[in-house]
Amino acid sequence: MQAIVTEDLHVRYRAKNGQNVHAVQGLSFEVHPGEIVGFLGPNGAGKSSTLKCLMGFVQPSAGSCSVFGLPAGSLEAKRRIGYLPEVALYYPYLTPLETLTLYGELQGLRGSALKRAATDLLEQVGLGQAMNKLNRSLSKGMLQRVGIAQSLLGDPEVLVLDEMTSGLDPIGRKELRELLKARQAQGTTLFFSSHELSEVEMLCDRILLIHQGKLIEERPIQALKDELRQFEITYQGAVSLVDLALEWNELGHNTYRARFSDKHNLLKALDRVQREGRAVVDVVAQEGSLEEFFVETIGRAA
Amino acid sequence: MKLRVWWALARGVLLESLRRKDLWVVAILGMIIMAASGALGFFGVDGLQTFAKDLGVTVLGLFSTVIAILTTARLLPDEIRNRTLYPLLARPISRFDLLAGKLMGAILATWLAFVILLALTSVALLMFGVRFEAIMVQYALLKMVGLGVLCAVTLTLSAFMTPSAAATLSFVVAFGSSMIVRGLTMAYETSSPAMQWFFKFINSILPQFGLFDIGPRVANENWAPVPLWVVGGLLAYGVAYAGGMLLLAWSKFRSQAV
Repeated sequence: MQAIVTEDLHVRYRAKNGQNVHAVQGLSFEVHPGEIVGFLGPNGAGKSSTLKCLMGFVQPSAGSCSVFGLPAGSLEAKRRIGYLPEVALYYPYLTPLETLTLYGELQGLRGSALKRAATDLLEQVGLGQAMNKLNRSLSKGMLQRVGIAQSLLGDPEVLVLDEMTSGLDPIGRKELRELLKARQAQGTTLFFSSHELSEVEMLCDRILLIHQGKLIEERPIQALKDELRQFEITYQGAVSLVDLALEWNELGHNTYRARFSDKHNLLKALDRVQREGRAVVDVVAQEGSLEEFFVETIGRAA
Repeated sequence: MKLRVWWALARGVLLESLRRKDLWVVAILGMIIMAASGALGFFGVDGLQTFAKDLGVTVLGLFSTVIAILTTARLLPDEIRNRTLYPLLARPISRFDLLAGKLMGAILATWLAFVILLALTSVALLMFGVRFEAIMVQYALLKMVGLGVLCAVTLTLSAFMTPSAAATLSFVVAFGSSMIVRGLTMAYETSSPAMQWFFKFINSILPQFGLFDIGPRVANENWAPVPLWVVGGLLAYGVAYAGGMLLLAWSKFRSQAV
């Protein structure tokens, strides 16, 4: 049973200016249990509409989405999901502890178990000292931590997070990453949207890239990293590597530099240089930029 | 289970209302009433008990109506604006439960404000030498039912329109429904059968707030308490009307994209 499935999902709505918007256009994908999947796309790509469909906030115009085989938005499905909305201003006149107590009661938690869960979660997200202050006195980052804590109430099997790192400082991001990795180790599935590509790179198992409501790329992050990684060697002596290299040029003083897109060609090149008796001065592996990949892929799809 | 959900939501509304110091405003207004009545009593103006009671119930009705509308009109729109609606709807609760819990919270906050105002007004009236009558309890009970209906009407309107529009229309309905009904009654006799049917329809869907307000009876001395079956009937009408309003709000909200 897949954790999340969308099949030929369409979302249409009427915008405030009266125009009909086709936000999601035939989106189909699956998220496997225990996987961390990043949902990427430029502004207006249809990410939030898709997440809202998954939570039942918006009804699909066509197609379907389900969570562990249950219709998205059903009470049974919602019992198994934790959700973090993008930049919420939690009740200004309640404290984080009261906020979590409220959400916990709605989740079905009661009594001392609820109090313990709320306190533990607030400690975990670093709000141990602030759990009894009014939300209105908290910073944006602290409110985001309240949001993260509420999404984890009831130990959900799937976490759906919309722009989860919004407002968090680098330390907060690192702590969140560790928290989510720990949850994944316990079997939790994570599906999140983000514009922070570095977070995506560090956290995800797989990415889904959408543009104009359509899925344009779906790739395991490791495979993508391998694909984007490039190698460069610098050596002395005239050995042509034109047939193997992406780029090959002379730096001067009988020194050459060659760039390769894959390890296989790099190894062949090193072998050739060494067989010719030339000296390899340097070998460098350069990690590719996810940002460039993102921009190029979106550019191609546009 | 449902009641627990409703109570959890209602408690949140009540707590926020208390912390936002809405009730402080009520207390200050009450103090003003007390001070004004006390001043009349101090200067020994005799024979004005009826006037004092009339003033008391009028001010009480006015302030509690304002509090009911302003507390309720912003509940749903604030949830949407602050995006706190999403974590609520992400829980395993239905949208009907959400509306019912919010309405319960608004009614409790309004009732609490009303009880504070009532207590302060009662003290002021006692200072003025007004003696306690059984009809005053009936007044308070029916007024609270009427305020509950008003909260339901306002919540429903806020599901269909902006908070300011909902508040404005609620004020019109709260203060104008009696006038509208009086106008309809006057025009009824001289109208065509089709128009009479239309007037009957309008009259039946308008909340009859006038029925819940026995303030004029309280103000005038020597009125006997209202028969209990009338109070029971009004209670049933209030619950049914508020329930109907809740269903109407739910019919709009149940599949609304948020």
